[in-house]
Amino acid sequence: MARSLPLSLCFIMGILMVIQFFIPHPISQSFLDIIIKWVRIIMAFALAIGVRSITFRHYERIKRQKGEWGFSLVTLIALFACAFIGLFGGVGPQSYHRLIYNHVMVPLGATMFSILAFYMASAAYRAFRARTKEATLLLIAAFIVMLGMVPIGTAISPRLSDLAEWLLSVPNMAAKRGILFGVALGGIATALKIILGIERGWLGGKR
Amino acid sequence: MKMLEGLGKIDRRIIFLAMTIAVIFPLLRPLYLVGRVGRRTEELYKAIDRLPERSFLLISIDFDPSSMPELYPMYLSILRHAFAKNLRVIVMGLWLTGTGLAEEGLRTCAPEYHKIYGEDYIFLGWKAGITAVMFGLGRSLKETYPTDYYGKPVDSYPILKEDITYRDIPFMVSLSAGVPGYETWIAYAQTRFGIKVGAGVTAVSAADAYPYLQSGQLTGLLGGLKSAAEYEYLNEKAGYAKAEKPASQLMDSQSLAHLLIMILVILGNISYFAVRRKR
Repeated sequence: MARSLPLSLCFIMGILMVIQFFIPHPISQSFLDIIIKWVRIIMAFALAIGVRSITFRHYERIKRQKGEWGFSLVTLIALFACAFIGLFGGVGPQSYHRLIYNHVMVPLGATMFSILAFYMASAAYRAFRARTKEATLLLIAAFIVMLGMVPIGTAISPRLSDLAEWLLSVPNMAAKRGILFGVALGGIATALKIILGIERGWLGGKR
Repeated sequence: MKMLEGLGKIDRRIIFLAMTIAVIFPLLRPLYLVGRVGRRTEELYKAIDRLPERSFLLISIDFDPSSMPELYPMYLSILRHAFAKNLRVIVMGLWLTGTGLAEEGLRTCAPEYHKIYGEDYIFLGWKAGITAVMFGLGRSLKETYPTDYYGKPVDSYPILKEDITYRDIPFMVSLSAGVPGYETWIAYAQTRFGIKVGAGVTAVSAADAYPYLQSGQLTGLLGGLKSAAEYEYLNEKAGYAKAEKPASQLMDSQSLAHLLIMILVILGNISYFAVRRKR
């Protein structure tokens, strides 16, 4: 029962949603309305389960002092402090919650992003070698796109940005489209496997 | 020969220092390098520019502070453009951590154009259940977002006195740093409800968006800081904005940083070939 009920629900709902997508009848539309409401409710509960899950996971690590448990402590303190401040102090422009966001989260996020430039420069210098014909082609394409994407490229030659645009619009797009088709077909296959009960990983690893 | 080989062994700290100088120097002494407005930026700009006065423009903030340097200047430019064109702006977000940035942008731009909250623009914030939210907006905005970010009923504001759906929104822009983002909007809103979608993305992910441009699922694309600077230029040229241009100021830094990376790659390759020849 613990296995057959979720599997049956998944099968029925999966088939109904596929049918619903292709039939724009009023009954089908009202069915979608009901589903949207249900999804919203389920998501709200999922959020609560997420908080519970993250709390227990990190609590266990702190309790056993396993690995880098100090980070778990920081995670839990940040989680509950922000929730407490947000719930009782509000999230408006003058709130403490906003103060934390503007003066902790924003600078930390921007720092993470900006250090990428340093690591990218160092990694490109060490790893980007014209070892083969393909690597040389990649190197030339990368140079053209890098120059075409900044004003200095236009200053060197106005044609560079056109060439960069062509590289993105033609060879890049051909490759991307192939990847997208592959991903979409893979997605459809996986969805069918889940709907038909062949793929059961979502039920939990041990089942 | 030894010197050529040595070019491949530059200390990491020297590279970091060179990068620091390449980024900071143009901020102190601007080089005023002028780029050309790209076709994709112009497409997005024109799509917004062609909207009739008092049309709705939906902006989805699908990024967080880690992508702020590239995407936030785009957001400010689009907001200024929309306010200058007297459009009604609805701002929401698919990323919870982006709500603060969304609100900050509105608080920066709305006073410049004397826009009133609830009349000219509204901020809906973030809501759990992304798929449900996107489908829901196709059925009823009021049902999907009964209240705005501040907890007040949306129908208490003149801007949303009447309930609206995607049919009433001629254009939307997703400023996206990943998933959920513009691809999610294409899958759930554009394909199903036919809303026109434009996107602003980070430079590294711009290449991924090109197939959607050719298929017509995306109307215009802002890729990275360069496009943000181009949008600022277009706004200024049309007389829509006189504010500071953060993206344009940062473009010099990005130009030098790109140049430095290329020089480093060339040096690394010279060293590589010198070593290979020796063997």
